[in-house]
Amino acid sequence: MSDSYQITLKILRYDPSAKKRWVQQYSLQAGGIQRFTDLFRKINAEQDPTLAWNSSCEHGQCGSCTVKVNGRPLLACELLVANAVEAFGTSQFYIEPITVGPVARDLVVDLEPAYERVENLKPYIIKRKENIYGTGEYRIAPQEMEAYLEATRCINCFCCATACMSGPPNFLGPNAVMASMVRVLDPREEAVQERLRVLHGPRGVCRCHTSRACSHVCPKEIDVANFVALAKAAKPRGQEP
Amino acid sequence: MKLKLSKTITCDLLILGAGGAGLRCAAEVLEKKPGTKVVAVTKVAHPQKSHTSTAQGGLAAVDPKDPVDKPIYHMFDTWKGSDCMADQNVVRRIVEAGWEEILWLENRGMHFSRDMDGRLAKRTFGGHTVNFGEASAYRAVFEADRTGKGIMDTLWGEVLRGGISFLHQSMATEILFCGERCAGAVIFCQKTGEFVAVRAKATVLAMGGCGQVFRVTTNCRQNTGDHLALAVQAGLPVMDPEAVQFHPTGIVGPGILASETLRSVGGILRNRDLEAFMEKYAPKMKELAPRDLVARAIETEIREGRGVFNSDHGIEHVWIDLRHLPEHVHRTQIPEVASFFKKFVNVDSRKELCPIRPSNHYHMGGVPTSPEGEVLRDAQAIVPGLFAVGECACASFHGFNRLGTNSLLELITMGRFAGQKAMEYLQGELPDLPKDAGEKSFQVFAAYLQSQGPARLGEVREKLRGLMTEKVGVFREEKGLKEAVSQIVELKSQAMETPILTKELPMNQELVERWELDNLLSSAMLIAQGALHRKDSRGGHFREDYPQRNPEFDTHSLLYMDGFGEIRIEKKPVDMSLGKEGGPYSEKFGMIERKY
Repeated sequence: MSDSYQITLKILRYDPSAKKRWVQQYSLQAGGIQRFTDLFRKINAEQDPTLAWNSSCEHGQCGSCTVKVNGRPLLACELLVANAVEAFGTSQFYIEPITVGPVARDLVVDLEPAYERVENLKPYIIKRKENIYGTGEYRIAPQEMEAYLEATRCINCFCCATACMSGPPNFLGPNAVMASMVRVLDPREEAVQERLRVLHGPRGVCRCHTSRACSHVCPKEIDVANFVALAKAAKPRGQEP
Repeated sequence: MKLKLSKTITCDLLILGAGGAGLRCAAEVLEKKPGTKVVAVTKVAHPQKSHTSTAQGGLAAVDPKDPVDKPIYHMFDTWKGSDCMADQNVVRRIVEAGWEEILWLENRGMHFSRDMDGRLAKRTFGGHTVNFGEASAYRAVFEADRTGKGIMDTLWGEVLRGGISFLHQSMATEILFCGERCAGAVIFCQKTGEFVAVRAKATVLAMGGCGQVFRVTTNCRQNTGDHLALAVQAGLPVMDPEAVQFHPTGIVGPGILASETLRSVGGILRNRDLEAFMEKYAPKMKELAPRDLVARAIETEIREGRGVFNSDHGIEHVWIDLRHLPEHVHRTQIPEVASFFKKFVNVDSRKELCPIRPSNHYHMGGVPTSPEGEVLRDAQAIVPGLFAVGECACASFHGFNRLGTNSLLELITMGRFAGQKAMEYLQGELPDLPKDAGEKSFQVFAAYLQSQGPARLGEVREKLRGLMTEKVGVFREEKGLKEAVSQIVELKSQAMETPILTKELPMNQELVERWELDNLLSSAMLIAQGALHRKDSRGGHFREDYPQRNPEFDTHSLLYMDGFGEIRIEKKPVDMSLGKEGGPYSEKFGMIERKY
């Protein structure tokens, strides 16, 4: 099945020096199993070297290449041309940067403010529980890990935060909530109350409107909304209903 | 446009590259000396995006509670796997420190997979054995098939807690010296387009690999051999650059890594006729033979006409068969890797054969260091205040072939050792920066911006990568290597004729790629020259014209590059202390035969 597609990409561009924003159209011929990152590279090589875009691993493990394609946040490296044509029912694609931080140029977004929101929720063990087994590893039964293992697969691609109707700056974001919930459920974490207080603080889960868009767009197919719901249900001491 | 330094930052410890090795080093210093000012520079958007995050299979370390496994077996496997080119003092040090590091990570929250008792689960990996090759060892702990991500997330958390500062999407363009001593580096911050000088008491190179030098690679877009170019620019040597690992199972097309785990859980390699061909090449270890052997076996199958060609991929491949594996293995042990086949080549690994071929994976060679991670100026002397760890460094733990799961072990142990050693510098004074700090970078970048000519950046880069895969890849020989060297020189001059259309500095992707192209060219030259010089075959370096190991080359090569392509080579002996000390198993650590 060697297939070739005539593709049109309309890309929202931004020049930081002139502070200018415009839509530029590129037409190209592409194979069915080419990724959208391959298309950007092809544009750079054959048509326009000035188009800036972000990526790193280009196989869905790092979450650097998130863009919006026809309104949907996704990883450009995971979108194959044939699948895109089928899923969107068109060969014309409008591509724009995600909205979780300022645009540096074209499709490149400054992720620092987005990551700061995750860092606010302390993606580490704040205070270690005493290990009753002594100096070795903590013993954690696989069934116990099941409760939060899915959430550890998050790569902070910010697809969920882009799709979330209560996006930044008021809400810390679904991925940030999930990072904290991993440690709420992790039997090694002592500081569960501290976590719950922040999760139920002014930028916490009270901002969630339960649209479940986060789960819908997650490229890792994590049920993000489930972890946000768990956070809502786990009230800190003194705030129980 | 006049290029200049926007500012000078001072810190105690400067880490260039914020992947696994760099952040383990930072974490060690921040934990032992809280309040230390650490600045880490990352080329990617955030340290979590580092290439370490893509490591899948596991982390080798001998559990002292294990009833059968022993550190001496792990040392032997590493030595044998390296084709007798690892430094034994380094091997011993890393292997002995392994389990402590596993516990360090686990205690700080890494989500290692567990057995039914809740203890760390272990699995086998190619080349890891007990009792000197007798049987497969269960030595690799893992976090499903995302072990590297587990390490990266844990380290990121720990350095955050410790109060590190990051320079994101930035790269070191020049190492700075105060006399002989390293004094910091010049950093180009991509997003703002500013050059910043960083003055530091100790500087650590932790910049990853150079996989982008090859057309088919598992490496991320940023692994462009920047560290090799920086080293030779500073007059420092690069050790064993020809020691390149080709992973046998890259997903055909994009080259994405399909972990060795696929073979460790029972995946079978098959050719066009569906023959399980590994029996011919490694009757005992079969699919679990070391990577270089398996990669050559696959290339041989392809060259002898038993490969498969599909025009969608544009390059031949063989199959890995996972269809017979039980559902729970698919679901719990290889979910991520199996999803790659679905996502990137639209194949269901439960029901269909999966297309794979060798893909460039790892650089065993790199910036030479002492066992503590101090950068070497020559075969003996160190550069005070400068360290190198991780893939960019060459201590050498892997020699000429790295065993699966040994790279993550090396990252975290060498990161810690370098951190400990670097702390000795933190008591002292800040070295002065040279008066001309940044001038070299400004000259180079100004030339890029003013360059005129008919060449296209992407085209030159793809020619180089194709050339390296074809002539300096899994199979090498004199004629092809000589052609490669002269063509790299030609491509270097073409590169100087590539205009850059984006004229402003902020987030100038073209400018960065132009700089990367020069680094790729330097890396390619070092690899090709190293391969040309070494007239024998060992590990990942295979010369068809010299297919055997030759005792004359039982030594490391240090390559200096005085001008582009002007290579000077010195020798550095391989440390064989385990063999010489006359311990109970010293006979295992001589120049042994490598058969699996």
